[in-house]
Amino acid sequence: MTLFERVFSGNDAVYGLTEAAVDAAIAANGEDKAVSFPDTAYALPCYYAVTGVKVTNLKEMKEALGVVKSLMTRENQLNDVFMSGVATALCAEFIEAIKYIDGAKPYTEPCYGHLSDAIIRELGVPLVTGDIPGVAVILGSAPTAQEGVDLVKSYQAQGILVTLVGGIIDQCQELGYKTGANVRVIPLGKDVTAVIHVVSVAIRAALIFGNVTAGDAGALMTYTKDRVPAFVNAFGPLDDVIVACGAGAIALGFPVVTDDDKDVPAIPKSLIIQKEIAKFNPTSLEARDIKIKITNIDIPVAFASAFEGEIIRRGDMQIEFDGSRVDCCELVQTKDASEVEDHKIEVIGPEIDAFEVGTKHSIAYVVEVAGKNMQADFEPVFERKFHSYLNCIEGVMHTGQRDMIRVRISKDAFNAGFRAKHIGEVLYAQVKNEFEAVVDKCQVKIYTNPEDCTRIRHEVATPVFEKRDERLSTMTDESVPVYYSCIMCQAFSPSHVCVVTPERLGLCGAVSWLDAKATNELDPNGPCQVITKERVIDERIGEYEDVNEAVRKFSQGALDDVSLYSIMEKPMTSCGCFECICGIEPFSNGVCIANREYAGMTPLGMTFSELASMTGGGVQTPGFMGHGKHFIASKKFMKAEGGVARIVWMPKELKDQVADRLNETAKELYGIENFADMIGDETIAEDPETLVAFLTEKGHPALGMDPMM
Amino acid sequence: MSEFKLTSVEEFEEATNRLLETGAKVGADAWQFRVKNQTPHCKFGEQGTCCRICTMGPCRITPKAPRGICGCDVHGIVGRNFLRFTAGGSATHSDHGREICHTLHEADPNGNYKVKDPEKLIRIAKEWGVETEGKDIYDLAHEMSELALLEYGKPFGTQRFLKRAPEHTQEIWEREEIAPRAIDREVSCSMHMTHMGCSSKPEALIRQSLRSGLSDGWGGSMMGTEFSDVLFGTPKPIDTEANLGVMKEDEVNIIVHGHDPSLSEMICEYADDPEMIAYAKQMGAKGINVAGVCCTSNEVAMRRGIPMAGNFLQQENVVLTGACEAIVVDVQCIFPALGPLSKCFHTKFVTTSPIAQMPDSEYIRFNAKTAGENAKAIVKMAVENFRNRKPELVHIPNMKQKATVGYSVEAIIKTLDGVTNSQVDKTGTLMPLWQCVASGVIRGAVAMVGCNNPKVRPDTAHVELMKKLIAHDIIIVASGCSAQAAAKAGLMDKRAKDLCGAGLKRVCELADIPPVLHMGSCVDISRMMVLVAELAKTGGVNISQLPVVGCAPEWMSEKAVSIGNYVVATGIDTFLGVEPYVSGSSEVTELLTNGVRDWVEASYTVEKDINKLGDAMIARIEEKRAALGV
Repeated sequence: MTLFERVFSGNDAVYGLTEAAVDAAIAANGEDKAVSFPDTAYALPCYYAVTGVKVTNLKEMKEALGVVKSLMTRENQLNDVFMSGVATALCAEFIEAIKYIDGAKPYTEPCYGHLSDAIIRELGVPLVTGDIPGVAVILGSAPTAQEGVDLVKSYQAQGILVTLVGGIIDQCQELGYKTGANVRVIPLGKDVTAVIHVVSVAIRAALIFGNVTAGDAGALMTYTKDRVPAFVNAFGPLDDVIVACGAGAIALGFPVVTDDDKDVPAIPKSLIIQKEIAKFNPTSLEARDIKIKITNIDIPVAFASAFEGEIIRRGDMQIEFDGSRVDCCELVQTKDASEVEDHKIEVIGPEIDAFEVGTKHSIAYVVEVAGKNMQADFEPVFERKFHSYLNCIEGVMHTGQRDMIRVRISKDAFNAGFRAKHIGEVLYAQVKNEFEAVVDKCQVKIYTNPEDCTRIRHEVATPVFEKRDERLSTMTDESVPVYYSCIMCQAFSPSHVCVVTPERLGLCGAVSWLDAKATNELDPNGPCQVITKERVIDERIGEYEDVNEAVRKFSQGALDDVSLYSIMEKPMTSCGCFECICGIEPFSNGVCIANREYAGMTPLGMTFSELASMTGGGVQTPGFMGHGKHFIASKKFMKAEGGVARIVWMPKELKDQVADRLNETAKELYGIENFADMIGDETIAEDPETLVAFLTEKGHPALGMDPMM
Repeated sequence: MSEFKLTSVEEFEEATNRLLETGAKVGADAWQFRVKNQTPHCKFGEQGTCCRICTMGPCRITPKAPRGICGCDVHGIVGRNFLRFTAGGSATHSDHGREICHTLHEADPNGNYKVKDPEKLIRIAKEWGVETEGKDIYDLAHEMSELALLEYGKPFGTQRFLKRAPEHTQEIWEREEIAPRAIDREVSCSMHMTHMGCSSKPEALIRQSLRSGLSDGWGGSMMGTEFSDVLFGTPKPIDTEANLGVMKEDEVNIIVHGHDPSLSEMICEYADDPEMIAYAKQMGAKGINVAGVCCTSNEVAMRRGIPMAGNFLQQENVVLTGACEAIVVDVQCIFPALGPLSKCFHTKFVTTSPIAQMPDSEYIRFNAKTAGENAKAIVKMAVENFRNRKPELVHIPNMKQKATVGYSVEAIIKTLDGVTNSQVDKTGTLMPLWQCVASGVIRGAVAMVGCNNPKVRPDTAHVELMKKLIAHDIIIVASGCSAQAAAKAGLMDKRAKDLCGAGLKRVCELADIPPVLHMGSCVDISRMMVLVAELAKTGGVNISQLPVVGCAPEWMSEKAVSIGNYVVATGIDTFLGVEPYVSGSSEVTELLTNGVRDWVEASYTVEKDINKLGDAMIARIEEKRAALGV
């Protein structure tokens, strides 16, 4: 059989199974039975993206099968093969969706099955920044469990998001290999159809970030091919069904690497036969043109972004530094070049060998840098990255910032030889690596004596933090001469531009005005460019001629004009990886905000995912706005529509996070005390009537304001 | 970026009609009118049944007069005419190749001609068993040129380049006694065989036609290609533009036309000379713009990115723009009509070769030793002529397309290296191409070649066939005027990938190529021979098993028949859109369309309906795939 015939045969087989599954489901549940995946605004996302039609019940699914059949042409050209691959994927999606009927939970530990929209939005930022350089889909069983796990580990060490389907999941379990979204190794499911859950991620990325119109299959496939750095590793022997799935992957632009040299012919850059499993990794990266940022840090454990989400439980912990109990802090200080000896790492005080297992201690690490182009404003920018740097160490967990930090070191890491000095190595290497344009020399001092830590915290760090806070609090949109563009997301969302100002950080929450400034100085031709704001058009909504010109330029003409402070008039666009979405609530003249972590319902009758699906992809959608959490308490939040007084509802957790700053802002702007208490949350109302009743009772200011529409 | 759209043949014609209006104003003649005067064509000529080989005749074969005076039947007459036609083409290409060998002999580190690709020279020398170690590259060049020239007249043995073919092909050539000997000998032998009173057996005449063709494709043409690369550089992908819109209203336009790059290379050098540019500005022009017509254009386009003004049937159009200061020609495919036409405008029609001398032209005899001076004189003459332009006659059609050209075999391999995976593949091979073909991603390849011919609506067959084939995931390699038709239409713009089937489109995207690859001029069809030979070796199959066919849908010249013969004799089925002059003989027709398959595993198909011609090629390619089981 030729390769094409095998694809057709596999596709026919899957189609047959799907037809039977749909018929059986109808027989069991009736054709009006609803079908859906949890936590997505895109129905059956693959079918929706390809055809533009949302399948909601079994009757529609049955009809959709007819459409799928129409894709299964047999002219013997690659188009037929691609479409048969796509048809196979759609069939898999139907089979998987049926498993979720009646809110069933078909997947149990360690498998994830369907992945929510929120997870995809979270992945947006690390994917564009290259922190996740690629997405591996590993399918089947490796010749030995060890080879399989070694392969998974090799990707994980590079920060690649690894998804597993089939036997490889058992192989990981067999060897006790840790999996989970937090370590970026996600077992999807053991049936081959579970592969659709990662395909669905790629496809929703196109809808969320790429502004691809559902139904435009051509644009969809171009987006995934050009912008989603995924690839497939399929262990042989490959049966026809896998070959058909492979055709779907290749159609989306994802190369398939296999060790099966008997059953399929090689195709350059698409179907690559690599007999040595140990070489799957470099073969795959080359096939997908994925470049790994090499961070060679001399430490005895792995260092990769994949470990960023790793959690170290108390029982697994060797020791802990806990800023909530004892004096701790982390600090960057600019020094004169003569005071810094490059790559000097000093541990002042006992090494952690001296500490009892499971005990709490003080730590203060001070990174001293010198450089001709170094500015004090960059210090907090570097410092905010420490969280990520330390978390990337395998077996180290870091939370918090400034003097409220907690660092745990696992027993495994300790046994592998990890010590406090290695924290210094990591900080040194990363600061030099990422900020080489401004840091000429760098040294790290790690204090572990309690008295040193107390002194550093109170006498050195606290005054610095206070000074910075003062500078930040006086830093307003009016007090700075320029703003910055941020187009980091354009790899994913080609027409989106963020205009970053001191009072409005990037909607992903990851880029403040200072970050953007530093990014610009570090890489003057990079994603953050200076935007002047000299020719004001309308101060009320924050519209400037120069800002519009910049937006036009950086969006390649996709956007004409934006306002900085309005949600209704020329609002700023979103890429899709925003932390929060706000949408207008017509009954109260206010807005509801939902954050990515919130999975429940809002009074708008939509979940975060559904709200989020209303905007994104670099398109202006008046009435909806993606933004960072920090922006909520800004005096510029919806300034044109009256500011924070418009906020009528937020999930409780988010409200608690922003309450202090929000109260301060409301007090300053309107003289209202404890404004956060006037704002509804899910414990108060999930529907507009209850909400309005609550707002009325509290005398919420939005009720008295002009309607926004 | 503006949206990509092909230029249609209708738009070509509209532009031509507008130019003919200018022509009418100045009383210019044009091929469009001459075709009318010449129609209907002589039936005896068309069928190949008129014999003028001796003065007993001319004899014309009819049912009532089935034999000539000497007793030769229609099959002998048609066969002889066909062989002579072939020999004419073979002689022409090969003599072009010979000129290049002579130019190589003149190469001098301080002279007009240098060795621009020494690596290639060394590679060929090694292939020929010539010692290269420690040798000065120019000494080697001279030694090689002499050896190459000997290929034209060596008393014994067959062509050196035949060894490039797969073993199986070489065996066929030996077995069928068609392995070409000295190039000139095959031409002479053809003339001898067709003399009064020699061969009249169709089989013998066709066999010699194949052999004479092979002496061109694997001899003279290959020499021309290979040593042009040595002298002027091996082409690599380069961006250019095509169609009359490349001429510039505010610059001195020099059009180079013909086939031999020795002259045009020099013209390009001097057109770039700051002294000449300053002179042009003194004359009121903004600069000097060189553009090409026909295969000279292909040569300079693929090595220098010089834009292509048009192909064969557009040669009069460049003069009709009223903006052509000089049309400088070397050899082959030059309309004598350019002489009288140029007189209707300010255009200088400059002939340069003793081989192609024409009335109403300025003859500046070009010679390798004095090439620099000659070229400078020509450029100067053109620059000075700028002042004589008649602004009221100037109209340059605003019509051009972007094209990426320059896909020599070396460049194709380099391009393919880009899609290999260093963890599993070797570089420097055609393996990725073979994998694409074997897997079915690309269904096959068609070599689109040949001229324009008023018997076919100009460029329609080229363009329509290419569109049809690429939509069917069949990649095109093109040369000569076919390549220019593609470029003018926009098929050599990388964005033309969107007109392909999903397979070829993906290949174009991954390899970053246009779906129609420009492989050069008509002598460069030798490159295609090397390509198929290597591809067959890579795939471990015979050339005749490859899903590859050749096609000349609008051919007209003797050279085209010579090409057809060597392509078929190499094992590649060849599809023609214009009938050769053989229809008068059932035996010759049978041999060409079927019989020769027993000798060389390939034959001709003639089909004037373009759509059917395309279907036939696709069907043949699919048959070959089925036979291979891929």
